[in-house]
Amino acid sequence: MTRLWAIVPLVLGLAWPAAAGERVRVVTTIPDLKALTQAVGGDLVEVESLTRGTQNFHEAEVRPSMMLKLRRAQLLVENGAELDSWVDVAVTGANNPTIVRGGPGRIEISRGIPLLDVPTTRVDRSMGDVHPLGNPHFSLDPGLAPAITRTILDGLSRVAPQHRAAFERNRMAFLERLEQQMAAWVKTLEPVRGGKVVVYHPDFVYFLTRFGLVQVGTIEDRPGIPPSPQHLAGLIRQMQEHKVKVVLVEPWNDRKLAARVAEEAGGQALVIASSVGAVKGADDYISTVDYNVKALAAALR
Amino acid sequence: MRASLVLLLAALVIAVGAAPSDAQDAEAIRKELEQMRRRMEELSQRLQRLESQPTPVPPPAQVMPPSPPPTLTDLARPREPFALAPRRGGGQLLFDMGVVGDFVANVTQRSVDKADGGTFAGRENRFFPREVELSLFGQVDPYARAAVVVEAGEENPGGELTAALAEAHLTLLTLPYGFQAKLGQARNRFGWSNERHAHDLPWADVPNVYRNFFGEEGLRERGVEVSWVPDTPFYFEALVGLFDGDNEVAFGRGKLNEPLVTGRLRTFFEPGLEHGLLLGVSAAHGQTPDRLRSTLAGFDVRYKYTPDGWRHALLTLGAEGIYSIRRIEREAEVAAERRHFGWYAYAELQPWLRWALGARYDWSQYPVDAGREWAVEPYVTFWPSEFLRFRLAYKHTARSERSPFNDSGGNARLVDELLFQASFILGAHPAHPF
Repeated sequence: MTRLWAIVPLVLGLAWPAAAGERVRVVTTIPDLKALTQAVGGDLVEVESLTRGTQNFHEAEVRPSMMLKLRRAQLLVENGAELDSWVDVAVTGANNPTIVRGGPGRIEISRGIPLLDVPTTRVDRSMGDVHPLGNPHFSLDPGLAPAITRTILDGLSRVAPQHRAAFERNRMAFLERLEQQMAAWVKTLEPVRGGKVVVYHPDFVYFLTRFGLVQVGTIEDRPGIPPSPQHLAGLIRQMQEHKVKVVLVEPWNDRKLAARVAEEAGGQALVIASSVGAVKGADDYISTVDYNVKALAAALR
Repeated sequence: MRASLVLLLAALVIAVGAAPSDAQDAEAIRKELEQMRRRMEELSQRLQRLESQPTPVPPPAQVMPPSPPPTLTDLARPREPFALAPRRGGGQLLFDMGVVGDFVANVTQRSVDKADGGTFAGRENRFFPREVELSLFGQVDPYARAAVVVEAGEENPGGELTAALAEAHLTLLTLPYGFQAKLGQARNRFGWSNERHAHDLPWADVPNVYRNFFGEEGLRERGVEVSWVPDTPFYFEALVGLFDGDNEVAFGRGKLNEPLVTGRLRTFFEPGLEHGLLLGVSAAHGQTPDRLRSTLAGFDVRYKYTPDGWRHALLTLGAEGIYSIRRIEREAEVAAERRHFGWYAYAELQPWLRWALGARYDWSQYPVDAGREWAVEPYVTFWPSEFLRFRLAYKHTARSERSPFNDSGGNARLVDELLFQASFILGAHPAHPF
């Protein structure tokens, strides 16, 4: 009977202790932002991601387990630019006023990012699942990490102002490590600078632009629309004309189709880490970028 | 001659004296050039470093000092919401808008058509718009969201459409202790399928048990619903609602002083990242127009298996049941009670991104009348894109009684139907939960 009474406050949710003591509970929509938040927050934060690296973030299913994570969150870090707009449904089901849109515990990273592929003409769905605000897949561009971590730093400092100095130190230490790596990455990709690739979905435009690589075409006829045979035939011709030997594909996309297109064009399909945790060895932010740099350098040589 | 000698000597002295000075200047210039070259190199390296850095960006616009939760006084204070509009850029819509079109074709036997005894009563052997829906939704202010849904559809043969306000509700998001309140007219959160619009269901029609116990439109009421999600280590949601009780099939009293009271408890388990299991129980208690009690209790269970890296679930299983206890007027001043039950179960397999195959089995009694019916409905769904869907289904229904499905000389005891559904989405459409 005593035990029964003991669970009453727990069920009422009035005295449930924070599992991680004093740590700031942060939830991110995608694993890249989890990795960057972890880099800034260090041991002072407990970060969870609502999705996994092997998922297509556009199509994440809103599960009650997401609502549970959000119910307890002090800060929600969302990518924005319509990559993760499903999070609004999860937030509505979480009954946590801190992280509702406009609340103090919510940050949208894309607001601080100069987005690429912003449509300059009128767009509609005949163009596929276009993003009117621009391409939202910026998180794995290491050159944008300073801007992303700056927004995360501001968000964390807002919910835990007493740790601001520590967050700043963590961020600077991370950026220093990143800068060192950046020099190595630039050197690694220098010999293949100007190299041409075809991608399945335009996930890598920021990364490719950063390192001077060129996206010649996409397997998807239009974003989110399966390719037609005519489109694929045209793409293969284009690859042969431009001597494109590499097709980049996300782990969650149709790898067989990517391999077939690459083979027809005399090239190879390369499964690339579309996010932290997408492939083996891409366990944190730096190792994920490192994986992509090395894989691309080897494939383009 | 002497003067020339003196001049020559003077020139020599000057020349000898000047030569080291020029050499020093040249050396100084060389040094300066070297310094400038180094400086240029430094600047060039610095420029390269800067170029490899991101474009400086302004601080995010949404950064603001933490605001304390609103007090009762804050909530009560008028906030001039319309004054916000001119402050935002011109042409910027402050909410989302979407249109959904859902068309259904139904082909069945002539006898079923005569008796109006098909799944879509009165619309047998027709292609008709079941739901064309205009949704407006978004944030009202930092404290609330709202949604308005206007719906048009063919309810009777003849091509005449009926437009109505399907939903209009406000959700207060910032209540303390994990509470949230929804006010207005909405689809009630009873079971799993009732809160979904017909076009969002995984079948071409509403399960028989819902159609029998709540009518074709389901349970859609006006009132208030309060939900609570406590801060527990497992997901748990509880909600209670107070409504008018307008639903003519199950209640119909339509008075707030004799209200329809609803409740639901729901939990979710994720045994491994690939599995998801949702369990819920619901209840609704109200009165009929004759002031007789009507109580419905329901359960719902839903399981999904999504292999790692898949963009969709490979297998979905679901079942719901409703148990109805209803007082009926048998004779003057003597009331009897009907205890009737219905349920359905379904399985869906989606081995490819664009194709799904499934089947649903229905078994249901009627809330008041005697008899029962069962049905089986295999179907196939095809999505050319995320915003367009076609579905083809065959449904066989067998009823235990001829009456009341024998109007106008028809007979709908055994019904075979071919159902075709075409649905599209224009613009925004909120994501659907598990």
